[in-house]
Amino acid sequence: MPADLAGTANAVPAVVRVGVERAADRSSSGIGFEDVTVAYNGLVVLDSLTLAVNPGEIVALIGPSGSGKTTALRAVAGFVRPVRGRITIGPRDVTNVAPHARNIGMVVQNYALFPHMRAEENVAFGLRARGAAADVIRQRVPECLRLVGMASYAKRYPRELSGGQQQRVAIARALAIRPQVLLLDEPLSALDAQIRRSMLDELAKLHRELPSLTVLYVTHDQTEALTLADHIGIMRDGKLVAFGDAQSLYRYPPNRFSAEFLGRANLLPVQALVATGGGMARVRFRDGAFVARNHHALPDGGECLLCVRPHDLCLAPPDAASNALTATVKSVQWQGDMQSVELDVDGHLLRVSCAPMHAPPSPGAPLTVHFSATQATLVPETMVRG
Amino acid sequence: MADIALRLPVADERPAVNSWIAPPLLILAALFFFPLALIVRQALTGDGDVLSIAKFASVFASREFHHALGNTLTIALAATAGCLVLGFVLSVLIAFTPFPGSRVIARMIDTFIALPTFLVALAFTFIYGSAGMLNESLKALLHLDLPPVDFLYSQWGVMLSEVTVYTPFVMRPLLAAFSLIEPAQIEVAASLGARPLRIVSRIILPAALPALVAGGSLCLLLTVNEFGIVLFIGAKDVITLPLLIYDKAIQQFDYTTACVIAVVNVALSIALYSLYRFVVAYFGSRRAGLV
Amino acid sequence: MLVWSRTGRALTWAFALLLFAVLYGLPIGVIALASISGQWNGVLPSHMTLEHYVNALQGDSLEQLHVSLWTGFVASAVALVSGTWAALALRPLARLPKRLLDVVFFIPSAVPSVSVGLGLLVAFSRPPLLLNGTTLIVLIAHFVLISAFTYGNVSAGLARLPIEFEQVAESLGARPFYRLRRVTLPLVTPYLIAAFSLSFALSMGELGATVMVYPPGWVTMPVGIFALSDRGAIFDAAALTMVLAISTSIVLVGLSHIPTRASPR
Repeated sequence: MPADLAGTANAVPAVVRVGVERAADRSSSGIGFEDVTVAYNGLVVLDSLTLAVNPGEIVALIGPSGSGKTTALRAVAGFVRPVRGRITIGPRDVTNVAPHARNIGMVVQNYALFPHMRAEENVAFGLRARGAAADVIRQRVPECLRLVGMASYAKRYPRELSGGQQQRVAIARALAIRPQVLLLDEPLSALDAQIRRSMLDELAKLHRELPSLTVLYVTHDQTEALTLADHIGIMRDGKLVAFGDAQSLYRYPPNRFSAEFLGRANLLPVQALVATGGGMARVRFRDGAFVARNHHALPDGGECLLCVRPHDLCLAPPDAASNALTATVKSVQWQGDMQSVELDVDGHLLRVSCAPMHAPPSPGAPLTVHFSATQATLVPETMVRG
Repeated sequence: MADIALRLPVADERPAVNSWIAPPLLILAALFFFPLALIVRQALTGDGDVLSIAKFASVFASREFHHALGNTLTIALAATAGCLVLGFVLSVLIAFTPFPGSRVIARMIDTFIALPTFLVALAFTFIYGSAGMLNESLKALLHLDLPPVDFLYSQWGVMLSEVTVYTPFVMRPLLAAFSLIEPAQIEVAASLGARPLRIVSRIILPAALPALVAGGSLCLLLTVNEFGIVLFIGAKDVITLPLLIYDKAIQQFDYTTACVIAVVNVALSIALYSLYRFVVAYFGSRRAGLV
Repeated sequence: MLVWSRTGRALTWAFALLLFAVLYGLPIGVIALASISGQWNGVLPSHMTLEHYVNALQGDSLEQLHVSLWTGFVASAVALVSGTWAALALRPLARLPKRLLDVVFFIPSAVPSVSVGLGLLVAFSRPPLLLNGTTLIVLIAHFVLISAFTYGNVSAGLARLPIEFEQVAESLGARPFYRLRRVTLPLVTPYLIAAFSLSFALSMGELGATVMVYPPGWVTMPVGIFALSDRGAIFDAAALTMVLAISTSIVLVGLSHIPTRASPR
């Protein structure tokens, strides 16, 4: 027996140990962006992005099309090369590493399953490309197909699968190589609403089963981001304009764009801020005054925006201390389980979502709405226009 | 996002050239560009070693060259015009008045492109030749002794054959361009009271223009280069440039004259090819029907 | 739908069918008819015979069928390899050099075939490369003339291939050559077959360059057909033309039945 194998208890072929097992053994790794800038032909599409995705975490990048979110993902995959900055996966700087050597799993919007291969061959592709041993492939492929609930479709060609099934196989294919990080690029946007909902639950379940998997998730859909992500980054015009955990980003948006993009928000310009202690502040709007959370600790005397979500506005006063606002009804829409009322306050649009009413107000009539001080938050008016 | 995007001095990252391109390029250079260069050299030096344009001068002064050049251009222009008219009519019929079997016919025309061109010339001798079907029918009907139709062994015969052979090359881009026209557009126009001819002139023709120009310039190139049809028609006074080259080199073993004419012919073809590429680039390959 | 009235539509259809019949049906029909005519002095042949096919499938004519098939297969196969190679090598290049080289690979299709033949005669009729009078010069002529078409077909196929397939393959760890072999080439197989088919058909019908360079021992069918028709054996010429068209079609139909699992969605 050769000396170097003498100490090995069970002889696993070397190539498998290196190419496949090592990635699994290694504790999970995060993704780091440090001042990453990407430009195509001189046009900056990603502007000095600095962001850390912690090991085992799901981070969603959301933003409108052209905001640079997909470019950020493709930079991690290695398909675009930054003109400046560093990208790390775990402790390794991969900025100049070829895509095939990065050990990432990637799932794209249109699945891109290889049409000339059966589902199982698609899943085996990455293992074969890395020269994994036959018995590893035999064991890993059914395991991954089972994980996404596609075990009985192993022999099917992609064209014989529905969109949702194709997407499951695509996820299995990405997971089969036991990647350090999983990149999901708009993975659900080609599916119709109902299947998207159930796939979303599946993805959440998948992450519970593979808690060490680090995921970077790019989407334009806020529901997907809010459902799945531990942290959310909001992108706009190539820049990261907000980053935080889903809860606080939703409740205390740091700027106008985030407030409007992540869940619809009513924003009213208010003045003469006075901090009242306990993280609260009083502001002036027209003749009246409101009390709201001053989460961002805005300075006294300044102007800012009052942010109230449509479902936090109610028609009946829950208590005497609540903020009240009288406006003119513009339109009333019944949406089944919800009634949506649009109000006009000094030329500002105010949306109210409430339970269906027996006698909805008619357009043109005055209406007083209330909101709780703790449900309203003050947002700095930034340079970025909405 | 363009309004906020700042411009960085970043060049196109893709390589300008790589070594993988060398093998096919070398093969092409050895088998195509090198022989082409030798044609030019032979045209300029003859069988000696002295560069001179004397041979060009004498060829340019000769009547047979004028004749051939004139024939080539006349036939090419007329045949191209014929292809454009016929191709447009046939494409409109196939695309906008779908009749039973029109799809099959469209596919048949596609395969016609792959058939040798001389097939049509050979067929025409059976149909329009002096002892062909048409003349025999007319002689029998009108009790004539001499064949009444006699155009095949002239420029007309060549033109008609070329129109038949090259019309599919106009139809292909046209049909592709027509498939981009919304049927609703035509239905709306018709519902507003536009008559078919008006729809053709106001909606279909403008949409087809890029494809017509692209198909037309391709036709011009192919008809200038056509050899088989002219050879098979074999009319004594219909000599085109390619036929004259063949005649000089193979029948008379006068390679230098053949090379001089070939230089002119190749230059003409490359100019027409440039025109074609320019047209396609100008309109964009999608609008030119070359999706 | 451009014509709405019932009679108008019927008239248009009749016109269209007549036009197609006269333009494209008649020539092929006449060749087919001539190939089985014993004698044709009136409007229609006076009697039918299969004698011309017997002639076409023996002796020189049969030899020409062999020559044409061989030339077509060899020239198309070489052109397929070189065209695919060129299209793949050009793909990652920057815009400007790519367009320039693209024109270079397309130019042979723009040059008249007789001039290509003349160039080969001039270039290879003297030492060190004395190819004049060999079979090889015919193969070279065919290769040069069809190479642009194979290149064009393959690069069109590559241009239509969505980039995601190869990127996903790369992210899964596939090195360039593995990716080419397992993903790129299988996905463009339909275009490779189309490229080969077109090249083969063009080679089978090639006349201009062949007539310039062919040696006595390597006569292709189009040259043979011209020789027959030139000496007045037009019915034999028609029969050989039919053999040419039918044998080309058989090969093309055969090629179109090669199973490719890469069906584009």
